[in-house]
Amino acid sequence: MNDTMLAAKSADAVNADPVHVDMRGVTQRYRTGRRGDLLALDRVDLQARRGEFVSIVGPSGCGKSTLLYIVAGLLEASEGEVLVDGKKIDGPDPDRGLVLQNSSIFPWRTVEENVAFGPQMAGVAAGKRRALTKHYLEMVGLEKFATFYPRELSGGMKQRIAIAQMLACGPSVFLMDEPFGALDSLSREVLQDQLLQLWERDRKTVLFVTHSIDEAVLLSDRVVVMSPLPGRVKEIVPIDLPRPREDARASQAFGQLRNHIWAAIRQETMEAIG
Amino acid sequence: MTMLAASRRTDVTETDGRPGAGGPRPARTVSDRIGWGWIGAVTRYYPVLLIFVLWEILSQLHLLDPMFMPPLEDVARTFYKEIFVTHELLEHIRVSMIRAAAGLGLAAVVGIAIGILMGRVRAIEGFLDPLISALFPTPKLALFPLIMIFLGIDDASKIALIFLGCFFPITINTYAGVKNVDKFFIWNARTKGANSRQLVRYVIIPASLPFVFAGLRVATSTAFLLIVASELIAANDGLGYLIMFAERSFDPALMWCGILMIAGMGFTVDRLLLALGARLFAWQDS
Repeated sequence: MNDTMLAAKSADAVNADPVHVDMRGVTQRYRTGRRGDLLALDRVDLQARRGEFVSIVGPSGCGKSTLLYIVAGLLEASEGEVLVDGKKIDGPDPDRGLVLQNSSIFPWRTVEENVAFGPQMAGVAAGKRRALTKHYLEMVGLEKFATFYPRELSGGMKQRIAIAQMLACGPSVFLMDEPFGALDSLSREVLQDQLLQLWERDRKTVLFVTHSIDEAVLLSDRVVVMSPLPGRVKEIVPIDLPRPREDARASQAFGQLRNHIWAAIRQETMEAIG
Repeated sequence: MTMLAASRRTDVTETDGRPGAGGPRPARTVSDRIGWGWIGAVTRYYPVLLIFVLWEILSQLHLLDPMFMPPLEDVARTFYKEIFVTHELLEHIRVSMIRAAAGLGLAAVVGIAIGILMGRVRAIEGFLDPLISALFPTPKLALFPLIMIFLGIDDASKIALIFLGCFFPITINTYAGVKNVDKFFIWNARTKGANSRQLVRYVIIPASLPFVFAGLRVATSTAFLLIVASELIAANDGLGYLIMFAERSFDPALMWCGILMIAGMGFTVDRLLLALGARLFAWQDS
């Protein structure tokens, strides 16, 4: 299948960027025994264009993380498929980098060994690996902590290491599962700004799962609102705020978008936490 | 799912993400403690010293039957003679240590390998788990007469007994460690391009090493127990034999030499393992 056909298929045909990540009818069922199956995801169709920042928001249990793990190739969908650059995915691949909510960086490796993990697996020579590690540590501003163990670092630092670890694999798609969800609000804003700068420079495709509507509006080109039980795409909200966005938090348009999305998920959230 | 991610939230302790907040922290504090460690260790074990002092005082007051508890100085004199004059004690130590080390070493290699396989391969787990669960509670010493029928009374039967006794704690701990590896570490490694061999080498093994190590510690004390027990039962040399021989030839000082020697060795090896563990697992949250 060629790129023009895929682009025509996407929700917003005006944008000419080719579809990069294409989720087609992704369905996930869990066996729960006597009560029958739980439908975690119900025929989710979603596309992310190359270089697009797409956030997925929704109440707990809407399957947004499950969807991300399916795109990562870590879970297999019960039905449907995921295509990246038109090719059906088959398991995880360093081209699709993953950052999880709580540092899944390895506590038995120092900061630099953590960042070097991907290149080491790929068999990159030690000298080149060191240069790569240094580069990405500088990018996240943690070169001074190269020889530290993760336990000696704060939560925000650990997440920056996780991002550097992902970057060192050179992925074209970033999959981020509530990467700042466990941080205090100050660290969270700092890391949001850093991620924005990083993204605006390289323009990688990002799928970003978050609980925070503010975060989704601030970072994204489009916000996907999901509803729970079964997990479905409820609405896709284009975010047309001008970039760079660091100062957008206080603007009126930001507030309007935020309220719009909140209204869309309010009902389900009330029911979910009911 | 978000539920899974949420379960990892609990271990968050600090959330200061500002670059260089509070300046770089000292990377190592362990080395600072080592200087005080030795003095601290000696003072910490003063109760042991106190027992020896009490022993000597009671002996001097003739309150202890010298057939069971000879004066400590007799024990010390015998100890000196056995080590520096006749070298007999050294030979018994050597023999016992070789048997224990062979059994323990073999159990470590086989046990760790099988533990990893059980944790990673469903079919092997399904086959071995019930077997190991059924055999683990059996006191291995009960098998010693049977082992001797097959392997005789020399080194082979004792090494086999120690192997059996050490194999279970090592295997079970390794298996538990591998099973316990956080799914998110595995996921993280797989999305960074690790294949299954690399996954075992760079994630599964380091992540489960603290468990493996705990198993090795238990196995080490088991090895000491079994070496003495087997040598008490049937042997021509070794520390267990020495203790039994001394008891039968009415030489309580020599018997106490053997007892104190084996106790001291067990203690020393355990402390060495602990120190090694502290070094290997400096990365762990304390």
